[in-house]
Amino acid sequence: MISIEKIAFSYPKAKKLIFKDFSAEFSPGEAVAVTGKNGCGKTTLVRLLTGIERPSAGRITIDGEDTAGMDLFEIGRLIGCVFQDPARQLFCRTVREEIRFGLENMGLSEDEIESKTAKWAEFFRLDGKLLESFPGTMSGGEKQRVVLAAVLAMGTRYVLLDEPTSSIDMRARRALGELLRDIAAEGRGVIFVSHERSFIESFATRELVLP
Amino acid sequence: MSSLRLENLDARVKLFMLLALSTSAVFFRSPKVLLPIFLFTLALVLAGGVSARDAFMRVRGALRLIASLFILQCLFNRSGAPLLRAFGATLITRGGIAAAAYVALRLLIVLLSALIVLTGQRRDYLLALTQLKAPYEIAFMVMAALHFLPLLREQARDVMNAAQMRGARIKKAPIVKRLRLYVTLSAPIVAGAVRKSEQTAVAMEARAFRAYPRRTSMRRLIMKKSDWAVFAAFAVLLAAVIAGGVIWSRAG
Repeated sequence: MISIEKIAFSYPKAKKLIFKDFSAEFSPGEAVAVTGKNGCGKTTLVRLLTGIERPSAGRITIDGEDTAGMDLFEIGRLIGCVFQDPARQLFCRTVREEIRFGLENMGLSEDEIESKTAKWAEFFRLDGKLLESFPGTMSGGEKQRVVLAAVLAMGTRYVLLDEPTSSIDMRARRALGELLRDIAAEGRGVIFVSHERSFIESFATRELVLP
Repeated sequence: MSSLRLENLDARVKLFMLLALSTSAVFFRSPKVLLPIFLFTLALVLAGGVSARDAFMRVRGALRLIASLFILQCLFNRSGAPLLRAFGATLITRGGIAAAAYVALRLLIVLLSALIVLTGQRRDYLLALTQLKAPYEIAFMVMAALHFLPLLREQARDVMNAAQMRGARIKKAPIVKRLRLYVTLSAPIVAGAVRKSEQTAVAMEARAFRAYPRRTSMRRLIMKKSDWAVFAAFAVLLAAVIAGGVIWSRAG
């Protein structure tokens, strides 16, 4: 379980606290939609959960372990994260390398890496010629699908997505929603930030509204 | 008194202060001369309204590099009398310490003097450069470059975070693997910067940048008495530094 215990947080030089005494829990097996008005801290919550930002008070634990003592790569092996702007998460020369990158860091065998790469590329319609394409020149929707494939292929215990449907088409949206539901049904945790009411109602098992 | 704060000084005077101080840092090689210049620059920055914390935060990134250069100079410069010996071998020499201090002080002076131009409005430097008869395009490019630096740093941080979030052990990887990773990660940062500059160029053209041969501004910078006083003081300093440097080099 991911547990947020009475955290406080504000950005440097900002006078206003974004979180004060904030607590929440996310259990494996549920798909939680995080919602709230603009500027309420949804993306900041994503950054806190992934360890990019650290709370000034309180603590965040993943399966009982305090993230304060964990490096980003250690958190990354437990929580797969897709950020709001997928272009900033792409750094490899081809889509294939992009999907393989995380799998190689997870220490999987070459056979496993190849089969998972093929499976996730196919799922997000990135197979064929696209697999050898340079992600930097792809459309916004394609970039988002590449990041989703690269992160979901890692099979982390928790999956965190910030506005995952912002650039993808209806077909990919439906497939993604069903996938998130399946991931939760497998006993893994899904947390996603979204403004899209129909997506939340169709695929979330719980909604967390930030104040 | 508040008018003597750095942010209240004319942008042209601040550019001149930067020129005078960084020239001083380049002209002299002796730590005995560079140390007072460093202390003077530090005092000037702090007295001018830049908080010690802010100054530290801004130069913090370069301090590790300066410390590394200091240690390398200490260890590998073998000139001068031995200062520290162990197991029959000379570890540190007087010349090594002097060279290390010279490199560190020079870099610190340049870094601290750059803080002077980070005070005040960025637009004032654009006005300053155009009033100094620099072509508007060049002045704008200088300002745009300054504006791009934090964006570039943010992008670099995002890419590093993204790689780590996918399990890459950047800080704990062996040096060769780490270097290979840095090369991989630098490509999207450069590509992103090029893309961003192209987008900015299109946005500027769309808003009629260079539509007229001459660009005017409603506001003009006007030198106050205090600006002239500071300018004169630094002109004397710069002249003294250049004269001192020439005498020094002839004596040497």
